[in-house]
Amino acid sequence: MDRRNFVKLVGTASGGAVTGACGRQAEEIIPLLVPEESVPVGVEQWHPSVCSECSAACGTLARVMASEREIEVGGELVRQKIAAVKKIEGNPLDPVSGGRLCARGHASLQSLYNPDRLRSPLKRVGPRASGQFEAISWDDAIAEAAGALVAADPGRILFLARAREGVRSENIARFLDAIGAPPATSIGVGDFAAEREASESVFGRSGLPLYEIQDSTLVLSIGADLLGGWVSPVLYSRRYGHMRQGRRELRGRLIHAESRFSLTAWNADRWLPVWPGGELALALAIGHELLGEQGADAPASVVSIFADVDLEQAAAEAGVPVEAIRQTASELAQASAPVVVAGASMVRQNSADAVAAAAALNWLLGCVGKPGGVIPPAEPLGVLGRRRRFSGDWSERLEQAAVVLVDGVNPAYNAPASQRALADAETVISFSPFLDDTSAFADLILPDHDPLEQSLLEVPPVSPTPSFVAAGEFVAPLYDSRPIATVLSELAEAAEQPFEELTVGQAVSTLYSALGSAGSETSASDFEARTLRVGGWRGQPSGKPPATPGTLGPFEMAPKQEGIVLQAYESPQFGSGSGANRPWLQELPDPTSSALWGLPVEVDPETAARLGLVNGDNVRIRSEHGSLEAPVYVNPAAIPGVVSMAVGQGHASYGRYASGRGANPMVIVGDGRDETTGCPTMGPTPISIEKIAGGARLVQFSRQDRDLPPHRV
Amino acid sequence: MAKEATQQAEGGTERTPQWAMAIDLDRCTGCEACVLACASENNVPTAGEDQAAMGRTKHWIRIDRYYEGEFPDIKVKYRPVMCQQCDEAPCEPVCPVNATYQNAEGLNVQIYNRCIGTRYCANNCPYTVRFFNWFAPEWAEPLNLQLNPDVSIRPAGVMEKCTFCAHKIKRAKLDADAEGRELADGDVQPACVQSCPAEAMVFGDMTDPDSKVARQLGSGRSGQLLESLGTKPRVFYLEKAD
Ligand code: SF4
Ligand code: SF4
Ligand code: SF4
Repeated sequence: MDRRNFVKLVGTASGGAVTGACGRQAEEIIPLLVPEESVPVGVEQWHPSVCSECSAACGTLARVMASEREIEVGGELVRQKIAAVKKIEGNPLDPVSGGRLCARGHASLQSLYNPDRLRSPLKRVGPRASGQFEAISWDDAIAEAAGALVAADPGRILFLARAREGVRSENIARFLDAIGAPPATSIGVGDFAAEREASESVFGRSGLPLYEIQDSTLVLSIGADLLGGWVSPVLYSRRYGHMRQGRRELRGRLIHAESRFSLTAWNADRWLPVWPGGELALALAIGHELLGEQGADAPASVVSIFADVDLEQAAAEAGVPVEAIRQTASELAQASAPVVVAGASMVRQNSADAVAAAAALNWLLGCVGKPGGVIPPAEPLGVLGRRRRFSGDWSERLEQAAVVLVDGVNPAYNAPASQRALADAETVISFSPFLDDTSAFADLILPDHDPLEQSLLEVPPVSPTPSFVAAGEFVAPLYDSRPIATVLSELAEAAEQPFEELTVGQAVSTLYSALGSAGSETSASDFEARTLRVGGWRGQPSGKPPATPGTLGPFEMAPKQEGIVLQAYESPQFGSGSGANRPWLQELPDPTSSALWGLPVEVDPETAARLGLVNGDNVRIRSEHGSLEAPVYVNPAAIPGVVSMAVGQGHASYGRYASGRGANPMVIVGDGRDETTGCPTMGPTPISIEKIAGGARLVQFSRQDRDLPPHRV
Repeated sequence: MAKEATQQAEGGTERTPQWAMAIDLDRCTGCEACVLACASENNVPTAGEDQAAMGRTKHWIRIDRYYEGEFPDIKVKYRPVMCQQCDEAPCEPVCPVNATYQNAEGLNVQIYNRCIGTRYCANNCPYTVRFFNWFAPEWAEPLNLQLNPDVSIRPAGVMEKCTFCAHKIKRAKLDADAEGRELADGDVQPACVQSCPAEAMVFGDMTDPDSKVARQLGSGRSGQLLESLGTKPRVFYLEKAD
């Protein structure tokens, strides 16, 4: 769907079918649930929706057409006519996606139609994590869950959820208020906890800064795999394309510093391989050099963190030659529109510090709020307050918790050490639509609708203009699931606690009043109607938000780990692991290794030669925390001594496509946490590697790593 | 047999568009969004691990990636590769039943119900972009609900490949007809082009000098894959500008 056609459709949409003039399939755009019988065969409808696969909250369009499914009625198979989603595309009116989509966004369709979705509430009947459940009615499920909540000391109720800004988070917050429980906590995974913490200290604002790379002449990214899944991959890929070839006679350059040859490193003009954990040292060293290059008219609190850095020592700890640091600093100093993108795609123990130091370089470069620079986070919109959702001690609180509620996160997988606490908790309640690693520990699973089956309103963490994305309901739910807001209302009612659900409609009206000049609409109801028709609201950039650095540092560099270490990372297709049950993503070649249906351990050529390893050999990797077995991929671009493995496989439970497939590197990296945010760290962890016989096979889409004749013609 | 640049349609004054694609490798990030956009649009089935191990996955579009150099001076070269819609297509003359041929708009088309599965075409394609259906494709219920009714499901025994989203071309023409206007540049967006976050791909009529694709071809960075084979692809790559 392109912009012109979508705008045309929005303009003509009336809620009734638009009939094609020439008998060709007509198109219409209808935001709300349509009865199945009003979906004519062969007619496509486009409904605005919101992608929920990562935290970027891209605005999308769902292509809906008449379809049929087989269901059982009274023991007989009958065909039922339904409206089905055929494809997801970006919404061209959405400032984040701009009508584009990433691979995970496409595969969200295979969450909706996943054959392993839960069909009804489940109650555990076997031991925890045994996977033995029986279906129960919603009435019984609500009564049991409410009973557990009422019986518990409210202070020992722990709700683990994603740190998003939207109606869903707001309802969870209201519910916890109502029952007197503490606010929901993020486990940090996929929420860019370190970046958010750093933003408070560097810009004095909560949220995530927006990098204006499309207008930069030189981008240095430190630790941020911005083209491979960091913060807002579609938005930053669009901006990257523009930076390279969108301006006449001006091609921006990219230097990328990361401990792995990620997609962003692929695309960089220069890759600075940093020893894992050395990101902070690198940022400090570059800052120190910049102080020498530029007059230090930056805020004093910023200058002070870089002034006393010992360059030689910092370079050694970063594992980057002094010369490369000097050159990078001097190129930044000379660039007319430089920017430093600061991130922690791989979370370390000191990530919040590392990101803060890297982001603070922008003050030295004088590019905060400038074209091609960085824009500090905007104020939160209206009713949807930006609450603090990170807690460095969530693991400890999990151990103390009587009732654990889990929505949208998978601690048993992403922080395997939490399995013990999940096994010991008095009651675990999950809202997952799948029997995943964590819901396998639950006493009750109250399956949520798929995101495509419910109304949504989300505020994207970064957007070129103030905006939110919203969607109404447009296809009937396939199974006996319920949206979480409904379940929370029912739980509150059963527990006799006052809870008022915030609906998407109410949120839109409240935003209308809060935003004042929301647009040309003259009433809240007009505004709501238009919002749902176009998939959200986008305002005007509110000028330069004032920002001043808060308290920064002092930062302590961590000594470089010796010996062979392992780092886990999030791959573009599997993210933190939730993509693994989509067959499309399993069969999408891993960019690094070209692996399909499994992920290898990536070993550098030197180490591989020493251990006698070739592609497809199997190894056992041990750390003080655990061991795993997996096939090897000899990665020509790996840093010698740094073994990497993508997160994604190794689910104990996650449906037919993911369960029991491959290994989970989080088992090896252990229970380290970023000190400020509680986010599980992804290494580096000292390991030993040993070659073993047999084991899993390495299936590769392409076994050829080098372009050989006759291709080189 | 290269096509006449401005062929006249039978009895009409309309120009027959000559479809081409330009892929700017300086924009492409290798993200593979195009790969899944294509699978979703064209009902391309997954093969499963065992068939994948035999090299039988179907990727109408793929990202070729090759490492160059050694650590730390290592680079990776990559490009999206789909059927190059060759003007001089080696796959065409070897088909005994003319199941594959070049149409008037320059598309290398595949007639599924004419194909008898000799697989000669796949052997003869230098770009390895043709895929044979060894088995009838399967979608575990309810995954079948995602299937696009505009695109036929290929049965066992026939060859399939990228069509340049021929059904979308047709749809765009019907739309233009219904509105009583000519096709405009940008009306046709194959699924990969539509999805690409870096806006690396453009598609259009290369004989329309004002089209985006024609302008890209004139950018001075444009070349073709395995150009020396003389296959005259309709897919053009704009090399990285570093
Ligand atoms: S970046 Fe991809 S996964 Fe994330 S919200 Fe956008 S389309 Fe979805
Ligand atoms: S979607 Fe675009 S940027 Fe991504 S691999 Fe395909 S062509 Fe390249
Ligand atoms: S790329 Fe291969 S399949 Fe496509 S036209 Fe050329 S020879 Fe035929």
